[in-house]
Amino acid sequence: MTTADVAGLRGTRSRPGRTAVWIRPERVKELSLLGVIFVALLVFSFLVDDYFSGRFFNRVTTSVAITAVLAVAQTLVIVTRNIDLSVGSIVGVTAYLTGQFASSNPSASPAVAIAIAVGLGALLGAINGVIVAYGRVPAIITTLGTLAIYRSWLISHGEGKTITADSLPSWVVDLPTRTAFSIGGLDIRVVFAVVVVIVVVFQVAMQRLRWGRRLYAIGSNPEAAAQAGLPTRRLVLGAFIACGALSGFAGFLFLSRFGNITVVAGQGLELDSVAAAVVGGVSVLGGSGTLVGAFLGAVLIDVLDQSLVRVPQVSEFWRNAILGALILAAVIADVVIGRRFRRRWSAEARPHTKVGDGSTDTPTEAPVLTGATPRGESGDA
Amino acid sequence: MRGVDRAASDPVSDASAPGSVPVLAMRGICKRFGATRALEDVSLELRRGEVHALVGENGAGKSTLIKVMTGVYPPDEGEVLVDGEPVSLRSAADAQRLGIAAIYQEPLIFPDLSVAENIFIGHQDQGPVVRWRQMCADAEAILARLDVHIDPRIPASGLPVATQQAIEIAKAISLDVRVLIMDEPTAALSAHEVERLFRQVRQLRDAGVAVLFISHRLDEVFEIADRVSVFRDGHHVSTDGRDDVTRPRLIAAMVGRQMSDFYARHDHHAEKVILRVRDLGRTGKFAGVSFDLQRGEVLGLAGLVGAGRTDIALALFGVAPAETGTIELDGKPVTIATPRQALDHGIAYLSEDRRHVGLSLPQSVTANITLPSLRRYVSRLGLVNGAAERSAAERFRRQLSIRTAGLSQPVGLLSGGNQQKTMLAKWLNTEPAVLILDEPTRGIDVGAKADVHRIIDELARSGMAIVLISSDLPEVLAVSDRVLVMREGEQTGVFDRSEATQERVMTAAVGVA
Repeated sequence: MTTADVAGLRGTRSRPGRTAVWIRPERVKELSLLGVIFVALLVFSFLVDDYFSGRFFNRVTTSVAITAVLAVAQTLVIVTRNIDLSVGSIVGVTAYLTGQFASSNPSASPAVAIAIAVGLGALLGAINGVIVAYGRVPAIITTLGTLAIYRSWLISHGEGKTITADSLPSWVVDLPTRTAFSIGGLDIRVVFAVVVVIVVVFQVAMQRLRWGRRLYAIGSNPEAAAQAGLPTRRLVLGAFIACGALSGFAGFLFLSRFGNITVVAGQGLELDSVAAAVVGGVSVLGGSGTLVGAFLGAVLIDVLDQSLVRVPQVSEFWRNAILGALILAAVIADVVIGRRFRRRWSAEARPHTKVGDGSTDTPTEAPVLTGATPRGESGDA
Repeated sequence: MRGVDRAASDPVSDASAPGSVPVLAMRGICKRFGATRALEDVSLELRRGEVHALVGENGAGKSTLIKVMTGVYPPDEGEVLVDGEPVSLRSAADAQRLGIAAIYQEPLIFPDLSVAENIFIGHQDQGPVVRWRQMCADAEAILARLDVHIDPRIPASGLPVATQQAIEIAKAISLDVRVLIMDEPTAALSAHEVERLFRQVRQLRDAGVAVLFISHRLDEVFEIADRVSVFRDGHHVSTDGRDDVTRPRLIAAMVGRQMSDFYARHDHHAEKVILRVRDLGRTGKFAGVSFDLQRGEVLGLAGLVGAGRTDIALALFGVAPAETGTIELDGKPVTIATPRQALDHGIAYLSEDRRHVGLSLPQSVTANITLPSLRRYVSRLGLVNGAAERSAAERFRRQLSIRTAGLSQPVGLLSGGNQQKTMLAKWLNTEPAVLILDEPTRGIDVGAKADVHRIIDELARSGMAIVLISSDLPEVLAVSDRVLVMREGEQTGVFDRSEATQERVMTAAVGVA
C-alpha cells in the first residue's frame, strides 16, 4: 500500500525564513546565571580584601567539582520527572569501596579503580531505576529508601573503620592537586577540567541525541510519551543508571579529594545536587532545564558559599541563612523571567487568523496539569 | 500506484467498489470490564479516503472502540484486520507502525519541547542524532500545508488548542498515517478554526487516509462526513451514507427514542434588573461592555473563541477583575476583586475547563459539590459534617440525574456529561442569584445536553439570572432570551430572541460587512 499520497501532504522543504531573533529559552537562563555569578563576584570583591586570588579560584574549582558531577547526574533524572535522593549514599558507598580496593591493590591501574567506582554506581542506579520504572514506585519514595538501605549497608560493611589517606596509593591522593594547564596565572586542575568535559559531553548528548530529547519528552508529558510509542520504562531506567554511574565517579573524586573516608561520607550531597540543579533552572516538574545550567548553579552556590566565608562580618550561622535566601531568590527570579518569556512567545505564536487576544482559549500552560489528569474512563464513551 | 489513480477520481465510489479491501476492519469485537459490556459484537469498516463519522451517546462505547483500535485495550473477542490481514495490537507502538493514530479532545503535546520536536519525537527510524535544521524545515513545511504558520522552534506550551491539534495532525501525517481517529476535535475550536480543521480533514481524505470523526455536533457531521455510523450501548446500530440519513433519524438511532425537540423553550416576562454592567473593560481583553440582566432571564453571550466572552465572565467572578466600568447588583454598586467576593454577592461561574479548573478530579462527587460552600457544613469546632454534605450531594444527584456508581466516587471517573452536572451542582449549591455558564454542554452527549437545557430553563423560571456563554449557535439561539454578541473584545450587538437569527448573530460575531 503506497504511502506516497500522505507523503504528498508533507509539503515542500524550504529554508525557513526566521523573523525575530531567536534565543533558545535555555540559553537565556544560562546567560542570566553567568550574569548573576559575575555580579556576585563583583559585589564580593568590594567586601573582601584580596578577593581575586589564585587560591580562591582553586578552592572553588576543587569544591565545586563533586557537586557539579552530582548536579549533572541529578538533572538527568529530574528531567524525566523523577528524583534521586540516594546519590549521597551512592557517593559514600563507591568512595568507601573504591578506597578499600585501591588500598589493598596499590599497583592496580587508575582506570580499574575508576571503572569500579563508575560500575558500582551504575549498579546502584540500576536498582533505583528498576524499582521506579518497572515497579512503578514513585522516585522520591524509592530513592529515600535506597538512601537509607545503601547507607545502612555501608555502615554495617565498614564496621566503623575509616579508610585513611595513608593507606591509599599516591596517585589517588595527589590527583586533586595535579594541574592540567595554566591560563595566565590560574591553574586549571585536572579534576576540574575532567568535570567540565563531562558537563559538555552530557550537555551535547541531551541536546543533540535522540536519547536525550526523549528524556525531556518523558518529563514534559509522560502520557503523551507513552502514546507516542516511546520506550518510557527503558529510558527512565537508563537515566537512573547514568545518574548512578556519574555518582560513582563523584564518589571516586570524593575519595581522592578527602582521602579519609568514613561510613557517613557523602551524607547530604543529594540536597546539594538538587539545589544546584534547581538554581540552575532545572524544573522539578521535569521536561526542562540544561546541564550547563545545573553546572552554573553549582558554581553559583559554591561561589556564594566560599565568598561568604571570607566576609568577616558574616557569622557561620548567618552564612547558611543567607545562602538559602540567595538560592530562593535565584529560583524566584527564574520563575518570573520564565513566565514573561513564555507569554511573549505564545503571543507571537498566535496564527494571524486568530480573533482577539486568545485569552479565552482552553489553557494549556503548566506541564503538571497536562500530564497529571487521569484519562481512561473519564472521557465520553 | 493506486494512490495516484485515486486522486483523480471520486474517493468514495472508488472505496466502495466491490472487492476493495477496507483499510481497517473490526469484526465481532467484544470488550467487557467486569460486569460492564463496553462493546458487544461490534463490526465496523473504515475505507481508504473516506471521512467516517461516529456518533453516539455517552456510554455508547466510542472511547473503548478507539482504545481497541489504537492498541490500548486488547479485545476480549473478535478480530481487527488491517488491509484484510488480522493483526494483534498490543501497544500504541503497534498501532503506530500500522499507521493508526488518534487525536483526542485535549491534544497530547509536550509543553517544554519545541513544535518541531513534538511532531517528530516518536519517530523510531531517524538515528541517534537529532538533525535540528532538517527537522524544523520539515515541521514548518507540514504545518504550512495545514495552513498553520508558526515558528517550529518555539515551545509548544501556551499555544492555542487549534494549533496544538494541528501539531498532532502534523505528527500523524509525518508518520504516514492511514487511519486517523479524531475524538471530538471541534469541541474547543471557534467556527473559523473548525473550517480550517475541515479543510485539513478533507486534505487527508483526498490523500487516501481513512478518518474516523467522532463528534456530538450533528451539523458538523453532516458537513464533513461521507458515511455516518451510530453506536448505542456498546452496539453498532447503523451505518449510512451521509446523504441517505437525516438528523432526526440519527438522533433516534442514538437514543433509541424519538427526540423531536431537544432544546428547551421557555417564555420570559420582564422582571427586575439584578445585574447592571456599564462600560466594563480590562486592558487587552475587552472594553465598553454594557448590559442589564433581569431576574429569570437567560442572556446568551455569543462570539468567536477569543472574542472576550470568558474574560467578561472572569471579571464578573473576580478571577481577572475589570479595570474600568461599574457593576451594580440589585441597584447597589459593587467591587468584585476575588471569587470569594463574587460568591458572597451571589454570582457563580461554571468554567469551560471542567477537568483542570472546574473540578477536583481525584476527589469525590460529594467533596466537589460542597467545596465552595463548605462553611455551611462546618460545625463550630471546625469539623466538617459529613452527613450534611452527603445529603446535599444526594439532593443534587437526584435533581440533576447525575449518573455515578456512588457519591464517594472520584469525579474523574465519571463521564463528561456527569462531570458537567457535578460542576453545575457545585455552583447551584452556592445559591447564586446570577449564574454564569461557560460552554456548559461542550463535549457531552445529546441526552445530557438536553438535561442541561432543561435545568437552565427551570432555573430561569425559578428566578435565577443566567448568562450563557456558548459557541454552539443553535443552542444559544434556542435557550437565550437575549443574545449579546462580542467580537475581538467589543460588544457588537444585542438581539432579542425574536430578532436573533444565525446569520445576524454570526455577522455581528465576525464583523463581515
